Amino acid sequence: MAELINPSPVVHERKATRRRRTPSHPDNAEEREPIDSLEVFEHIRDITDPEHPYTLEQLNVVTEEQVEVDDAAGTVKVQFTPTVEHCSMATLIGLCIRVKLLRALPPRFKADILLSPGSHASEAAVNKQLSDKERVAAALENPNLTQARLPAACCCT
Amino acid sequence: MGGPAGSLEELQCLTGHTDRVWQVSWSPSGDMLASCGGDRTVRIWRRDPGAQPERWLCAAILDDTHTRTIRSACWSPCGRYLATASFDRTTAVWQHAGGVWEVVAMLEGHESEVKEVAWNPNGGLLATCSRDKSVWLWEVQPGQEYEVVDVKHGHSQDVKTVRWHPQGEVLVSASYDDSIKLWVEEDDEWVCAQTLAGPGVGHTSTVWEVAFDAAGQRMVSCSDDCTLRVWSCRKEAGQQRWHLLSTLSGYHDRTIFSVDWSRQGLIASGCADNAIRIFGEGGAGDDSSAAEPSGSGVGSFAMLCKREQAHPLDINCVRWHPTDPGLLASAGDDCCIKLWRWRPDAC
Repeated sequence: MAELINPSPVVHERKATRRRRTPSHPDNAEEREPIDSLEVFEHIRDITDPEHPYTLEQLNVVTEEQVEVDDAAGTVKVQFTPTVEHCSMATLIGLCIRVKLLRALPPRFKADILLSPGSHASEAAVNKQLSDKERVAAALENPNLTQARLPAACCCT
Repeated sequence: MGGPAGSLEELQCLTGHTDRVWQVSWSPSGDMLASCGGDRTVRIWRRDPGAQPERWLCAAILDDTHTRTIRSACWSPCGRYLATASFDRTTAVWQHAGGVWEVVAMLEGHESEVKEVAWNPNGGLLATCSRDKSVWLWEVQPGQEYEVVDVKHGHSQDVKTVRWHPQGEVLVSASYDDSIKLWVEEDDEWVCAQTLAGPGVGHTSTVWEVAFDAAGQRMVSCSDDCTLRVWSCRKEAGQQRWHLLSTLSGYHDRTIFSVDWSRQGLIASGCADNAIRIFGEGGAGDDSSAAEPSGSGVGSFAMLCKREQAHPLDINCVRWHPTDPGLLASAGDDCCIKLWRWRPDAC
């Protein structure tokens, strides 16, 4: 087996989260609930890290505070923090987050997936790659990537 | 004061693709429109001759050839052939006769996704570009044979697009490495004559597309840096030299994937913020520069129209019709192609 990039990551507890909003009244049940940062976080917190049998939340790669949602504008911004700043898995982690959001959110949402500022040696290059939709589209069509890496890394229950 | 403003009227939404549409391409005479995308098909659309107002219908679906996304489709100047570039690393050449479409050549050689294919104006050369960072030039031989005449490795990253100058002696490539390169033929070899890049001049992120004006004296480029840049050409010691004429910033909110320049001088842009914008050359209130010689351009461009939510998702391509002034086609992530009519406001 190949050497691990971060052999002993710090593992955190899964946090209990709470809705800040009260549920909508029954008389306006027709009204669409706006999507908020907690809902987006719920979609990505249990993604399995590509290298460890832990979730991105347990490794503090993603936190609810680093998810910004503007429902009206249809934008989502997720910042993530790899466990080590030379992590070669950063692009794959970002791709997993993007794929999960592509599948989970209504298509009108435009997602920006970025490294937390200062969290990675090649921050600009990774961010550029993750924002290039042509590269993302080609990666998702690539059978080697989708069969071998993405399901294992992106699947979450 | 800019030129007269106007609006885009939606004529028709062409549905049928089952995945994102990456590109649309008008045939040289404008009687057909080809579209291609993530569903690995090309659709050929024709105008219904009987319908008034005009309607376009799907006349053919070309499938079972490419095994991955078809990123680009380009008509030969004679209109009898269509070349398609795919993420499956190949470029196919289709011939149509009597309503039947047939693959007559498969161009193989790129190591990864082919992103764009472009026929030169006399139909004798094809250029392709790829994720593998290279630009290939193919010469059309008798009997639909295509011979590789040059492979250029000037870019340091994916080459997103190639486009020929309308007179054909210059090939332009644009890349994920933020640069635009101009290639000319010298003694049977294509050499990089100029690179448009760098602080204060070039784009600061991926350059997605370029388009020339009708005369070939100016070129516009669009980028992930949310700007359009207009470049103008001067002859210096017998050589074309391109200079930055104008940067159009502050108009677009996300990546600009596509730009096209109409024969009437209108620039259309297709953006990931779902809007189509139309720009025209200003200068109406700028009488002091009225003596500017024609063709060199004063370089002041104004936005004439912003059509919000032209598609409900990203717009990947905009193309002006070659002969019908003001007819524009657009393609989007919503699997749709839309036809628009530019209507200038009466002054």
